[in-house]
Amino acid sequence: MRAGLAIAAVCASSAVRAAGDPARGERVFQYCYSCHSVDPTETATLQGPSLVAIVGCRIAAEPGFEYSPALRAFAERHGRWSEDLLDRYITEPEKVVPQTTMAFPGIEEAGDRADLLAFLKTRAR
Amino acid sequence: MRVHPCFLGAAAVLAALAVPATAQQVQVYQLPPGSYPHDVAPAPDGKIWYAAQKHGAIGIFDPKTGQSREVKLGPKSAPHGVIHGPDGAAWLTDGGQNAIVRFDPKTEEIKVWKLPEDTGYTNLNTAAFDRDGVHWFTGQNGIYGRLDPKSGEVKVFKAPKGRGPYGIASTPDGEVYYVSLAGSFLGKIDRATGETKVIEPPTPNQGARRVWSDSQGRLWVSEWNSGNLSMHDPKDGSWKTWKLPGEKPRTYAVYVDERDIVWTTDWGADAVVSFDPKTEKFASYPMSAKGANVRQILGRPGEVWFPESGTERLMVIRTGETQ
Repeated sequence: MRAGLAIAAVCASSAVRAAGDPARGERVFQYCYSCHSVDPTETATLQGPSLVAIVGCRIAAEPGFEYSPALRAFAERHGRWSEDLLDRYITEPEKVVPQTTMAFPGIEEAGDRADLLAFLKTRAR
Repeated sequence: MRVHPCFLGAAAVLAALAVPATAQQVQVYQLPPGSYPHDVAPAPDGKIWYAAQKHGAIGIFDPKTGQSREVKLGPKSAPHGVIHGPDGAAWLTDGGQNAIVRFDPKTEEIKVWKLPEDTGYTNLNTAAFDRDGVHWFTGQNGIYGRLDPKSGEVKVFKAPKGRGPYGIASTPDGEVYYVSLAGSFLGKIDRATGETKVIEPPTPNQGARRVWSDSQGRLWVSEWNSGNLSMHDPKDGSWKTWKLPGEKPRTYAVYVDERDIVWTTDWGADAVVSFDPKTEKFASYPMSAKGANVRQILGRPGEVWFPESGTERLMVIRTGETQ
C-alpha cells in the first residue's frame, strides 16, 4: 500500500511536469539567464554551464567548466539530470547539493518549475 | 605571507586569534542555519547587517554579544546586496522581490520600491549612492538603474553588452562606476543622462566582478576569469594589473579600506588576500573552512568584514582601533 502510494505520488509529480508550458518556461528562464545560456552557439563566458540539452544529460559534464567539488561529488552519486532530480535541485539548490556555488535560492512554485523544465526540454542540441 | 588559520569550535562565538606579525586579529562568528549571508555591511550602531538571502531577510549581528536576529523583507524576498545608506538605513537589492528595499534600523520599517512591471526579472545585484543621494543599482540580467529616494522614481537602463552588470561603487567625489561580469568591462555612469561609458580593462574576457574606489578615486576591479586584481585611474586613463598569488586564483570580491589597503577574496585558494599598493605585496589569510565562498567585503575603520556564504559565518579582520 505504501509503495502504491509512492508510485501514485511519482506519477502525479510527472503529470505536473508534463503539463509545463515551454512558452511560459522561457520567461521563468530569466531566473537563470544571467549565468546560463540555452544557445548552442553562445560565445560569452558565463558563470554557469550551458543548459542546452540539460534534461537527461550527465551531471557536471561540460568540458572545461569548473564545477564545484560539491556538484562533482553529487554527479558521482546521481549520474544524470533526470527531470525529477532537476526539479528537486531548482526547488532548493543548497538543500539538494550543500555547498553548491550556485547562488540561487530556488523556485518555490511547482508550476513555474514545470514550465521551466518544459522549456529546457525544447533546447536540445 | 600566510597567516595562521582560525581554530573553529562549536560555540556560537569563536575565540579571537591574534596574529602578532601584523598586529591583526581574525574572528569568526557562526550564524543561524540557513541564513546564507551573501553580502554584509557595518551598521552605524556598531552592529553588522547581512543579506540573509535564503531567509528573505536582513540579518542583524551584534559583535558584542555574538547574537543575531533577522527581519523578513517581504514575500519571495531573496536579497543579494546590502549597503549602509547616507540616511543611516540599510538598503538591499532584493532579487526575489525584484525591488530595492530600505530597512530603517530605528523603527524597523521596511519600504519596498518594485522595479517597473515591464522590466521583468532582473537578478538585482548591488547598489551604491552618488553624491546627490541617488541610489544606483545593477541587475545581472543586463540592466542598471536609479532610484531617487526623495521622489520614489525608479528608472531602469539597458546595459551595454547585455547581461553581466554586477558590482557597483561610488568614488569619494560621488561618481558611480559598475562592472560587468559577462561583459568584462568597467562602466562609468553619466548621472545626468544615465548612459554608460564603457572602459575596457587591458585583459580581454577578464570577468570584472566587483569594483571599489580608493581614497584617490582610483577604481579597483576583481577579475574572476583572469584571477587578476586591476586598478584604473580615471585621472589619466591608465590601468595596472596584478595576478593574485597561487596556482589558479579566482578573484571574487574587492574592497579598499580607510588606509587604501585593497582586500580581495580568492575562491581558488579559499583565502582572503590583501594588497598594499605602495609595496605591491600581497598577504593571504585563510578563510574559516574550505568552500567558505566569500562573495563580498565591506568594512569600517579598523575592521574588514567577510560574509562566508558557504559556511554561514561572518569573519572579521581587525586592522586597528575601531572608530
